[in-house]
Amino acid sequence: MAVEYKDYYEVLGVPQDASQDEIRRAYRKLAREYHPDLNRESDAEERFKELGEAYEVLSDPDKRERYDQLGAQWRAQERAPDGRNFEDFFGRQDFGGDVRVEFGDADFSEFFERVFGDGAAAQRSGPLRGLDREAVLDLSLEEALAGGRRRLSFEDGGSVDANIPAGVREGQRIRLAGQGGAGRDGGPSGDLYLRVRLKPHPTFRRRGEDLDLDLPIAPWEASLGATVPVPTLTGAARVRVPAGSSSGRRLRLRGRGLPKPGGGHGDLHAIVRITVPKQLSEQERDLFEKLAEVSEFDPRESRA
Amino acid sequence: MSGRRTGSRTTHAVPADGTEEQAVELAVVARQAGVRVTLVRRYVEFGLFEPCPGTNQPPLFDPRCASRLAKAERLRRDLGLNYAGAVLACELLDRIRELEDQTRREPDRSARCGSTGAER
Repeated sequence: MAVEYKDYYEVLGVPQDASQDEIRRAYRKLAREYHPDLNRESDAEERFKELGEAYEVLSDPDKRERYDQLGAQWRAQERAPDGRNFEDFFGRQDFGGDVRVEFGDADFSEFFERVFGDGAAAQRSGPLRGLDREAVLDLSLEEALAGGRRRLSFEDGGSVDANIPAGVREGQRIRLAGQGGAGRDGGPSGDLYLRVRLKPHPTFRRRGEDLDLDLPIAPWEASLGATVPVPTLTGAARVRVPAGSSSGRRLRLRGRGLPKPGGGHGDLHAIVRITVPKQLSEQERDLFEKLAEVSEFDPRESRA
Repeated sequence: MSGRRTGSRTTHAVPADGTEEQAVELAVVARQAGVRVTLVRRYVEFGLFEPCPGTNQPPLFDPRCASRLAKAERLRRDLGLNYAGAVLACELLDRIRELEDQTRREPDRSARCGSTGAER
């Protein structure tokens, strides 16, 4: 079977004997519900197109009559054992000329064109720009900071290469001109907007434009002070841990965060986490025991 | 979805916060929306958008007006609205959009508002 039969009555949710008034009311109600400018569900546009096609046929008494005849024959054909197909009943309609009329963002279905011929759609009201679309663009912090070319794939199988500007921010919208919905009657296409969403990072926690990072520090480094390596989004850096740093101390690396809206960058905060060895060597144990003996430090003093 | 995107093409991405896009003349709005200049004028009369402040000779418009106009006009044609109705629909859609953005930014607050949302 080359073309699938479309039940326009079912599309509009009206009975076969519905009056023109009922059909009009049903169409208007559903059109408001599924208009792609009003309904952002992904299937709304497809549904709206179907509605337009169904209404185009059922609202025109001539087309409706022809369609009703077809329905009867179609059912008869389904019972027929000889497997004759659609064209045997209707042939290939040829209305001459190669004008293709668009309704909404795309052509009517193949079914419609087989039955009524190309160019049979009456709704024509001049060129108009297509729908703007929006999609979510998930980026890692590194990708957002560095920018660069990125190939985006879409559900419909299409794809587009987009240049992501360096330093895009959470919630920022990137416009891809002309990559939205197709225009009507030769109107320009709409734009595609990508809304940036930053993915959680395994190392860095985001607070606005600032980043937090846990920095493991040995007890002696924390006590004596040390300069230790610290990862940043743009590569390794070194940070000085001042002597006497307890867990939770925030060491700021200025400008190593994410870009700010008005220019400049947020900061990276390395948070000291004092980390002890799981197992001690004999010598380490000796030294810790000696330290325990001589130290007068009481970390819980202030609670007393 | 449109077939135009099928196959890959390189497109330059523009930060869409509008800061670096320049105001355009009425004829450009019309061209970008795919409509006649008279239709743009009509929507201006109905208050869909206004010229940028301080521009008069000629009046200049935000480059995003073309997409706004196309939306109003799609709604008008598809739903049998008149011009005032289409403009109203666009304004209400803008408001919904603002509220949705706000909800995204402040999930806690919106949860609280949800319980009293019927007031509005």
